[in-house]
Amino acid sequence: MFSTTFISILIIGSLIWTALGAITLLILILRDHRNRNIW
Amino acid sequence: MGANQSHVLDPTTGIVLLAVFGMLWIALGMWWGRRAKDNEGFMLAGRNVGLALGTATAMATWITSNTTMMAPVFALKQGVWGMLAYATASFGLLLFAPMALRIRNLIPRGFTSGDFFRLRFGNVAWGIFLLISLLYSMSWLVTMAIAGGELVNALSGIHYVTGLTVILAVCILYTLFGGLFAVIGTDFIQSIIILVGIVIIGAVVLTRTDIPEMANHLSAEQPALVSIFMPVALLAVFNNMFFGFGEVFHNNVWWSRVFAMRKSVAPKAFFLAGLLWFPIPIAAGFIALSAGSLGINIPNENMTGPLVASRIMAGDGGAFYAGIIIFVVLFCSLASSIDSLLAATSDLLTRDGFEKFIKRGKAVADHTLRRAGRYAIVATGLAAWLVALPRWPIQNALFLSGPLVASVIWPVIAGLYWKKANHHFVIAAMLLGSAAGLVAYFTIGWFTASLVSVAVSMVLTVAGRLLAPRHFDWKSMNA
Repeated sequence: MFSTTFISILIIGSLIWTALGAITLLILILRDHRNRNIW
Repeated sequence: MGANQSHVLDPTTGIVLLAVFGMLWIALGMWWGRRAKDNEGFMLAGRNVGLALGTATAMATWITSNTTMMAPVFALKQGVWGMLAYATASFGLLLFAPMALRIRNLIPRGFTSGDFFRLRFGNVAWGIFLLISLLYSMSWLVTMAIAGGELVNALSGIHYVTGLTVILAVCILYTLFGGLFAVIGTDFIQSIIILVGIVIIGAVVLTRTDIPEMANHLSAEQPALVSIFMPVALLAVFNNMFFGFGEVFHNNVWWSRVFAMRKSVAPKAFFLAGLLWFPIPIAAGFIALSAGSLGINIPNENMTGPLVASRIMAGDGGAFYAGIIIFVVLFCSLASSIDSLLAATSDLLTRDGFEKFIKRGKAVADHTLRRAGRYAIVATGLAAWLVALPRWPIQNALFLSGPLVASVIWPVIAGLYWKKANHHFVIAAMLLGSAAGLVAYFTIGWFTASLVSVAVSMVLTVAGRLLAPRHFDWKSMNA
């Protein structure tokens, strides 16, 4: 059986990871915009 | 909740959301489309796409409505392993990262994956590849269109044909006005909306779910879902992984993005996209695991995600907002894949079908190519609409094209990395691999089809390299 701790880490970790994904994209677009590198 | 238990929105709100987001995508498509000064700009967004847009477009295209809808179904039926199995589809993007750099080095002026097959393996292999790729892409496009009509109907009660028509029309229009500029630009906004939407839904569900209680409930009532040894789910891990490899390695959806990104950006963007895509099936899927402990009945398995999310989120009178978030996330998931398929499939028709086959050997003016590209987008979209209209069971065509696509994995790898692959053996690998895969599909089961196809194709491709090596140098192609 998967332990409760593993399931908790999997679920909470995936949500944090997904949120970090959105933040990463926003940081990248700001960086590309500043460097005139978007297109 | 409406009369139908799976409705999370009323039809008027659904129509308003479709209209608002539809107009937004079309307006943005027209605005970005002004950048496309010639056919190359239209097809490949000027070949200068940066890391932010490159990462987002690779990720958004791979987040289809299947990801957001089927991940909860995987979790419901196969538990923890089901979610992890779905997440392995991201490995296709991760492995494509080094290939992206290789492609840009070998064919710096390429347009499509068809260019690669034509130059590397000759016209016969090119023709077989185009047939496989077009069959697969059209099946995928029609499946997405049908899913769009059905989801809009199930979520808001809007008639199937209306939902299907609006979603396809919006995607056709903005792709038509803006080409790959519009597709990549909207993909960025859509991916942010999808990620934020999934996090909001997941966070709200998490605040109302006690994970230890959920795990205890699963252990007692459905122990298979939290079992480390679940053979079916373990098979699904490999099935999804190979599906990811076959799809990403061959499809022009991904190749056109490689050609559109700056050379140094392409590998980084695909790697980052794979990394950021990995948690999404888990974040979108886990809500299904809490259904049992919260006593939520699921009458329609395919609506697991929206149903469970809306029931849980409706707790404090938040049903309306829950419905809006779910609807918008699914609309963005659909649009981000449909627009990419429209653009990439019409590129294959324009570049490979029109310029390199019908007009072969002749110079074709830029404005003629651009007009042909626009016709191809409309024709592709219209064909998808016509096939989707009677809701033909096109999913079967998509499943059947799985082993065909799998037969192309080794020819792609051999063509990119080996100097001595034999094109006759590669042709045999695609034909016999596809045939063996189809036989396995009908005689053994769907879950073996791609594996058999890959195995036969691998043996023949490797045999050609060892038994009858043919020297090939990309430098001689001036591609």
